Amino acid sequence: MGIEMQYFMEGLSSALQPINLLWVLVGGFLGTIVGMLPGIGPATAIAILIPITFGMNPTSALILMAAIYYGAMYGGSRSSILLNTPGDGSAIAATFDGYPMARNGMAGQALTISAIASFIGGILGTIGFIILAKPLAEFALKFGPAEYFLLFLFALSATVSLSKDHMVKGFIAMMLGLMLSTVGIDRQTGVHRFTFDIPQLSEGIDFLVVIIGVYAVSEVLYNYLNLDWIKNKNKLGRLWITKEQWKRSKWPIFRNVPIGFLIGVLPGAGGAIASMLSYTMERQLSKEPERFGKGAIEGVAAPESSNNAASVGAFIPMLTMGVPGSGTTAVILGALIMLGIRPGPLLFEHNPDMVWTFINSMLVGNIFLIIINILLIGLLVKILDTPPRILYPLILILAFIGTYTLSYSVIDFFILIIFGIIGLLMKLLHFPIAPLILAVIVGSEMEQNFRKSLIAYDGVLDILLASPITVTLCILTILSIIYPFMLSWLKNLKTHQA
Amino acid sequence: MARLMMPIFFITLSAVYLILTFGLTRSKVGDPNGPLYFPALIGIVLLVLSVIYFVQEWKKRAEEVTEFKPLRGNVLILIVATLLLSLLYTLVFERLGYLISTILFLGCLLFIVNGPKKWLQNVIIAVIFSFVSWFSFAKLLSISLP
Amino acid sequence: MRQASFLFLLTAVLFLAACSSDTPSSDSRSPTDDAGEAFNFPTKEIEIIAPATPGGGWDATARSMQKILTDEGLIDQNIIVVNKPGGGGEVGWQYLKSKEDGHFIAINSSLVITNHLLGQSELTYEHFTPLAILSTEWISVAVAPDSEFKSGVDIMEKLKADPKSLKIAVAPSLGNNDHLAFVQAAKLYGVDVTQLEFMIYESGGDVVTALLGGHVDVATMSVSEAKEQHLAGKLKMVAIGSDAPVEGLEDVQTWTDQGIDLVFPHWRGVMGPPNMSEEEVAFWDETLHQMTESEAWKEILKNNEWTPFYKNSSETVAFLQEQTTRYEQLIMDAGLAD
Repeated sequence: MGIEMQYFMEGLSSALQPINLLWVLVGGFLGTIVGMLPGIGPATAIAILIPITFGMNPTSALILMAAIYYGAMYGGSRSSILLNTPGDGSAIAATFDGYPMARNGMAGQALTISAIASFIGGILGTIGFIILAKPLAEFALKFGPAEYFLLFLFALSATVSLSKDHMVKGFIAMMLGLMLSTVGIDRQTGVHRFTFDIPQLSEGIDFLVVIIGVYAVSEVLYNYLNLDWIKNKNKLGRLWITKEQWKRSKWPIFRNVPIGFLIGVLPGAGGAIASMLSYTMERQLSKEPERFGKGAIEGVAAPESSNNAASVGAFIPMLTMGVPGSGTTAVILGALIMLGIRPGPLLFEHNPDMVWTFINSMLVGNIFLIIINILLIGLLVKILDTPPRILYPLILILAFIGTYTLSYSVIDFFILIIFGIIGLLMKLLHFPIAPLILAVIVGSEMEQNFRKSLIAYDGVLDILLASPITVTLCILTILSIIYPFMLSWLKNLKTHQA
Repeated sequence: MARLMMPIFFITLSAVYLILTFGLTRSKVGDPNGPLYFPALIGIVLLVLSVIYFVQEWKKRAEEVTEFKPLRGNVLILIVATLLLSLLYTLVFERLGYLISTILFLGCLLFIVNGPKKWLQNVIIAVIFSFVSWFSFAKLLSISLP
Repeated sequence: MRQASFLFLLTAVLFLAACSSDTPSSDSRSPTDDAGEAFNFPTKEIEIIAPATPGGGWDATARSMQKILTDEGLIDQNIIVVNKPGGGGEVGWQYLKSKEDGHFIAINSSLVITNHLLGQSELTYEHFTPLAILSTEWISVAVAPDSEFKSGVDIMEKLKADPKSLKIAVAPSLGNNDHLAFVQAAKLYGVDVTQLEFMIYESGGDVVTALLGGHVDVATMSVSEAKEQHLAGKLKMVAIGSDAPVEGLEDVQTWTDQGIDLVFPHWRGVMGPPNMSEEEVAFWDETLHQMTESEAWKEILKNNEWTPFYKNSSETVAFLQEQTTRYEQLIMDAGLAD
């Protein structure tokens, strides 16, 4: 431990060098901005910066790219809360309660708590990184096809369970999402499925286009219904949170850090699943689940701390094994390789200074980011002052630009428009949107893992009983579906007895 | 009977999807039916769910459908106009380039949504926003826009 | 920046007006005006098409080229990288095909051959102007460190007895080089390759994790993806498809050393649109040759574990012809086409 402490201090002093501080600041700021914009996520931003990182010292490059990544986690929830238009999968859960809060005139507080939750998630995640990086990397290896399949199934069923009153509709939405995920080349066999000879469809429908369509575009259309909606008189309300709100959010923030962190460590899971599971868990633990979805502050706090912890966790497989856990870490890995750094089991031995500088830069970066984000709140809530008749057309344009940057093809515009319409219909008919989105995000990985499990195990029962992890996930999946019903059944029982 | 439209739509959708699934090319390697399992499963589950949905709505068939109430008059026109403009934008985007097509699109959109009376405001916003966004995306972030 | 690109545009317009025979030109003034010796190219922004999303080998190649061509002063014009992902290169190459002149070039690899052979595309390299092969990676076969297999031949021996006895991990699709290299080695050893059980992962990284976690028995992937793990003793490389032992991995035998006559390059190259003029081809030949000679390029190759594999435009055409014959046979052997 003594040596580690020495590395830690060296890392800290090198992270505090002015040049590295500058990169953290630049990265965090850029990340916050790209996180807010629909479609243009950290992966795109980092890819654009690759030619700039060429001449840089690899440590500074890593610091810069990482800051963009976790900065985007901060930024992502901003547009979710203010406009109900998440820019990325991990920001979806923030719309559930963040947007209702904003509608109730508590935009400032929602933004504040999400920044605080992000900060705590980021800092605790970094500490988790220091203590647990290696054992967790070993743990992640235990996840084979059967484990991943069931993890995705659990995440989906947990999301559907959120729509307790519309369970059938929730499942239908999930099935639609899974259906969409089967479009494209089947990886196991190379067979083209449902592509109708359009080459752009062969790699599947990008889930980000679906997100932008069913959230941003349909939100624009949906708002036409009441364009002259007059804002609450108390408008933005106070910016800072009350003691009461902090009390409500405190535990949700802390207990969701480990969840997000663990899921982040698993390559292929990521922030969307982490934040969604945290949100469901909070709701199921809550004594008043009916407040969720109507502007419960803990419903903003929980997913935000979780997805920030996940973004730190995602660096563990990348740095310790050279395995990127997400699209963004894949781009970072590529950039590091070009600079002559090859992350892997030897990185900690060969470049301890780099690793420790990086870790410390995350601590510094999170402090920067909470300051930036809290300072920005006053500016951001001003967006709500824009007359909706001007604001919504502008959002539509941003949705189109964001979509274009995904694969530089106007074919995606058609998909975007179609999903805008689908999203609008779903809103009108009270179909929950989250199961659809999550299914599109995890669907194809879920199928691939299912198919690999079929090769690896003899039958479906063998898959379910493959390991203690699969058994646990099975139980959790079943629980997530029946728990809400059990709860209301118990409540009924109590009221009848009383 | 409008209430039954959605369930019937989903039943049709799952049926079509299943038919397409069984029409997929078989794999030349490994299990020839491999690519079919998952879609078939989805199709069947969706079919079952849609039938349940149908039954649920059937029970409520006497109730009036209120979901589409808000889509009346002006609102419907606005939505359809926006969608048509978006389609047009899609078609001309690569031909006219980002700057021109966006100015036109945003201009028309604002004209419809914000009202023709504020034409000056509309024109100014359309031009400035298009230019600023073009500059920041294409030049500062060097994202290649047409 | 903007002023500069405006100027480029202006000169480009003038130049096109002057040179293009289709354009009725009243203003026929060549920009340099020295007829004969001055072939003026490039006259506008150069576009390098990476037919994939950022993060992979194609994107890395394109962005390295962008960097070096600019830094070494080989091209004065602005160079941009355009990502056109989709269909295993199909989308990007279709885009290239619609272009008229040598200001547009795209990265390619054996997929430009195999997509067509697998029935996934109409395009072949013959629809384009091949300009160069730039680099290659080598493909390795790895197992867990405590595996019963000591060499590639041990694996093949087991598969010969029962082709379904091992689960083999490969990424990201069937019919790609990692897959076909293994198939060819197995074929040469007399294994019934149509019976092999492959598990297909999304990326090389996932293949490594699957092997480390013991979820598969054998993995085939590029050397760069396995090297660090091999050096750390987390997995064991047992064969490499290169012509000579790879630097830093002298302990791993090539397939040829093990008695299987297989050298399998996973190359990347560059091509231009159809109907490029001879002068344009000559320009790129010269420029790309200089690029591959530069220190910066060598540095990038070394960092990525890529091996120099430069071929000029005419060599490239011959090479692609030979590769097509080879892949045709391989894909039939693997049972991916009939």
